[in-house]
Amino acid sequence: MDSYVVADADAVLARARSGDPAALESLYRAFEAPAYNLARRICRTTEDAEDVVQEAFFEVCRSIGRYRGDGSLWGWVRTITASKALMRLRRNKYRDTDELDDQIVPSIRREDTALRMDLEAALERLTETARAVVWLHDVEGYTHEEIAGMMGKTVSFSKSQLARAHTRLRGWLGEEVPA
Amino acid sequence: MTHLTMEMLLALREPGSEPGTAAAREHVDGCAACAAELERLHQRAARLKALPTLRPSRDLWPAVAERNRGEQRGRRARWAGTAIGLGLAASVAFTVITGPMGGGGRLAESEQALTEVKERSQLLESALDVYAPETRVLDGQTAHAAQLLEDRIAEVDRELQAVELPAATGRRQQNDEALSLWRERVGLLDALVDVHVTRASNVGL
Repeated sequence: MDSYVVADADAVLARARSGDPAALESLYRAFEAPAYNLARRICRTTEDAEDVVQEAFFEVCRSIGRYRGDGSLWGWVRTITASKALMRLRRNKYRDTDELDDQIVPSIRREDTALRMDLEAALERLTETARAVVWLHDVEGYTHEEIAGMMGKTVSFSKSQLARAHTRLRGWLGEEVPA
Repeated sequence: MTHLTMEMLLALREPGSEPGTAAAREHVDGCAACAAELERLHQRAARLKALPTLRPSRDLWPAVAERNRGEQRGRRARWAGTAIGLGLAASVAFTVITGPMGGGGRLAESEQALTEVKERSQLLESALDVYAPETRVLDGQTAHAAQLLEDRIAEVDRELQAVELPAATGRRQQNDEALSLWRERVGLLDALVDVHVTRASNVGL
């Protein structure tokens, strides 16, 4: 996922830093798809994901002067997008507290025991937080330390969310090993 | 036989080694069930990465661009006000510090004051050289503020050239006019340095 590049990046960056709208749009076009994909995988609805992408790229426009080139440009945009998506989760407070989580999931697991869901549907079925951790860790490659930092939680929280999520995915996907 | 927990299996996928991973790895080597579970974990992660990239159903850029334009307009307006304010404040402060030339001031005093204000101007020019603003990429609002100040400095320089031509007026009057313009120039340069220093500290230079 780090392979997204901007053609003639140095020149585009210089122009973007001076506020050139065409250069800023070039950055948007280069990262629109992966940013939306990341936002959509974390957020529950397409509307939320679209809002997140707009907020993220507005932030990119405002802060492009602060991008020092230490890491990849996509890495920088990705972190902004992930942070905005996680902020959106906190703001929406979808039924994602541990208390509710524990009430909901066993019933889901019972009714789905015999189902063989596809991965996409199973991922969608995870709680907001669990899905965000799975996506950020397993797909985007963030470490537990980075995820904990972005979520304002502990490393243990990130690890346990990932473990619980994989346990559920395994069950929903019918991959459980017979005892 | 006790199998590894999901957390232990996930720890085996982490780079580096956490406490207990050596023992867990040893267990996996001798336990077909855990080895299969670990393999499924790898496969699940690979399948997650292979999921199709979702794309927005509409173009989101126009809304971002419009919001950004609004923000830039707001910032330009604020910066223009700040720059003009800085210039005025610096001019007034300098005038207050050095004091206006009284009508009865002697020629020697006015020439001394003129020398001092020119030295101050040179000092500020040197400070600006340190920031080498012409080699830096400025954001829109900083560039606009700097442009306002530079334009006014250019005007003051033209007025100074006219004043410092061989005197049509008396020497003291000529000095007073020049002193006033040099003081304004110093105030403007002060403000220009402020703009660049603020920008530099904002971006962590």
